[in-house]
Amino acid sequence: MIILKSLTRILAVVGKELIEVIRRPGAILSLILGPFLIMALFGAGYSGYRRPLETVIVIPPQSGLPTDMDSYKEIAGSGLDLVEVTPDAASAESRLRDQTIDVVIIAPTNAEQDFKAGQRSKIQVEVNAVDPVEQNYAVFLAHVLERDVNRIIVERLAKEGQSYALSAGASQAAAIPPDVVAAPTEADLVNVAPSQPTVVQFFGPAVLALILQHMAVTLIALSIIRERTTGIFELFRVSPINAIELIFGKLIAFGILCGAIAALTVLLLVGPLGVPMLGDPALIAGVIGLLILASLGLGLLIAAISDSERQTVQLSLLVLLASVFFSGFALAIDQFSQPVRSLIYIIPVTNGIRLLDDLLMRGTTTASWQIGVLAILAVVFIGLSWLLLRRAMRRI
Amino acid sequence: MTDERQRDGTSGADNAAGGTVGAGLRPTDAERVPGPIADARPADQPSGDVIVSMRNVSRAFDNRTVVRDVNLTVTAGTILGVIGPSGAGKTTTIRMLTGALAPTSGEVEVLGQRPTSFSRRTRERIGYMPQLFALYPDLTAGENVDFVASLFGLLLWRRRRRVQQVLKLVQLWDARKTRAGRLSGGMQRRLELACALVHGPTLLILDEPTAGIDPLLRVTVWEELHRLRDAGKTLLVTTQYVHEAEECDQVALIAHGRLIALAPPAELCRSATGGDVIEVETTDMFDGSNLESLPGVLAIRQVEARRLRVTVDHAATKLPAVVDAIGVAGGDVASAREVRLTFDEVFAELVARAGEEDDPAADVAADIEPGTAA
Repeated sequence: MIILKSLTRILAVVGKELIEVIRRPGAILSLILGPFLIMALFGAGYSGYRRPLETVIVIPPQSGLPTDMDSYKEIAGSGLDLVEVTPDAASAESRLRDQTIDVVIIAPTNAEQDFKAGQRSKIQVEVNAVDPVEQNYAVFLAHVLERDVNRIIVERLAKEGQSYALSAGASQAAAIPPDVVAAPTEADLVNVAPSQPTVVQFFGPAVLALILQHMAVTLIALSIIRERTTGIFELFRVSPINAIELIFGKLIAFGILCGAIAALTVLLLVGPLGVPMLGDPALIAGVIGLLILASLGLGLLIAAISDSERQTVQLSLLVLLASVFFSGFALAIDQFSQPVRSLIYIIPVTNGIRLLDDLLMRGTTTASWQIGVLAILAVVFIGLSWLLLRRAMRRI
Repeated sequence: MTDERQRDGTSGADNAAGGTVGAGLRPTDAERVPGPIADARPADQPSGDVIVSMRNVSRAFDNRTVVRDVNLTVTAGTILGVIGPSGAGKTTTIRMLTGALAPTSGEVEVLGQRPTSFSRRTRERIGYMPQLFALYPDLTAGENVDFVASLFGLLLWRRRRRVQQVLKLVQLWDARKTRAGRLSGGMQRRLELACALVHGPTLLILDEPTAGIDPLLRVTVWEELHRLRDAGKTLLVTTQYVHEAEECDQVALIAHGRLIALAPPAELCRSATGGDVIEVETTDMFDGSNLESLPGVLAIRQVEARRLRVTVDHAATKLPAVVDAIGVAGGDVASAREVRLTFDEVFAELVARAGEEDDPAADVAADIEPGTAA
């Protein structure tokens, strides 16, 4: 009879939570359609295409270099969009400062003389970048430019040398083509990964994990804090319900909800977006289940330590922010120092992203210990929440 | 100008403050009308059993004493009205009885247990209606009652029957499929009452159950509370409507955090005045002090120049004597009648009297009663 009554109380909480969610059309839109819309927008909107940098090449009049644009198109490649070749360095630099162009390349004044004198000439590459990522990209392009210019020069010299040698009777001098002399090696990349997803497909599992964590944390935390800050918790204190029954009820209700949304989102990922699913579906479902459970535990903890709805929302957003930065979603985990790297596994989604990435796109994972981390996080978060909520429900 | 001279300074209410609330005023069997809830279950507790007991109970928040030294005993089958001005300490007292608050000092016992360590079985015997709206606005009226019934462990087959019964009782059956958030304030209050009643508790603790309800429905609610009392339930009801004291078997008047009176309503009236009150109107100005020596006169109050109130030990026998005495003293009586003070006047009198005896610092403390939110 005691168990039956306890079950009645738990089911009452489960039913109440599910009805409340269903009764809010806005919540349904944001909970179910929201993740779908985010995924769809991400898939449709992100191309991975990087705009070529608008470039002006300055050829000093005394350099003797050609001034037509066709001569430099090969050097510019796909990363640079050559918009003008000019002798006026000051005008080009002014446009750079006004941010109407991205790069100014100033050719050396006496390249031939410097070469004959056994000295290196400098090609000056100027950019106007505040963003460190853009700056790094400019450095990369400068190196590519330097390499290509050098290759062209060597190729031209080799060609001239071969002509000279042939005219001198050294017929074997033409055995090696000038382009091979200029670039004797080339890399041939072979990817042994079991799948080669596109950028959108690659980010799909991470977006799924992030959405699930944020949804689970926010839903359960707001549900509890609303009851704590209204007279409803007063009723709980007087009634026979205890903290365990309340927590179980909430976990089951929001677990069902998040599980349903996760299933729909996975179908969307694997179907229309074409994300590979190479791993065992049961194992993937298990990881998603653990991720939801740990996230719900985190949400419970946030509600237990908050004293207002506003604080709950702020803490939930802080968790989201920390997740975006530290989970490996935006920045690779191995770019962080060791002490921070150890701490970021406390965020459930850090483990969720790695495991889902591996299981979906590789079929297996070398980080199976993170399954254990998710389970421990779930137990610790829920245990702490239980202690705090029990205290809140106890007579004061 | 008001002038009061009372010969007997003692008050029945003062003497009664701190005592036992019995079932002495319960109606006879013939007067009892079975209702939809009252007839559903037999009496839970034999009349005379102590249901609630508070001994020297005080509660302080941050060194501010909100309730001080309350002594109270409530026996089964009684309606105790807890009445007092806003911020008097009523809700704090109620919350100590539900176990939501522990007393700072003193002992509280409800249904034989200390509220801070209620067993689940005891909790199932208590119905509670908090002062604040404590329902889920997105759930319908029926779902809210069903949820609360489940919290108290009612299993499915009994739950359905009880939900229907209590919703019909509070006249919300037709609105059972309406979301609680869309009900009017009065309907929400009735819905909360239904939630408090749904599991058939032995002890009902209702914090302002009639607040925001129209007068006609208030009558219905009180009729039902009487039926519950007659079925052996014990009810603790706080109310801001002073005249509702008449509906209670006993009234506990709380002011400035102190229990200043505990008595049946009729006794409280006498306590406030010290006896029966005769109001005399004269054709010309008359000095009431001329009546002081009259036997049976306890106090005289000059309400207006030509109107005075005379407190006597027994109005029916003393009224002619008072009229004669005024005539002898040269006055001309235009009218004379026994008056019954309204409960508003009675409580104003008792609260004012208690306030005079109080420490001013304590008044401030009692007014700053913390909210009921968790």
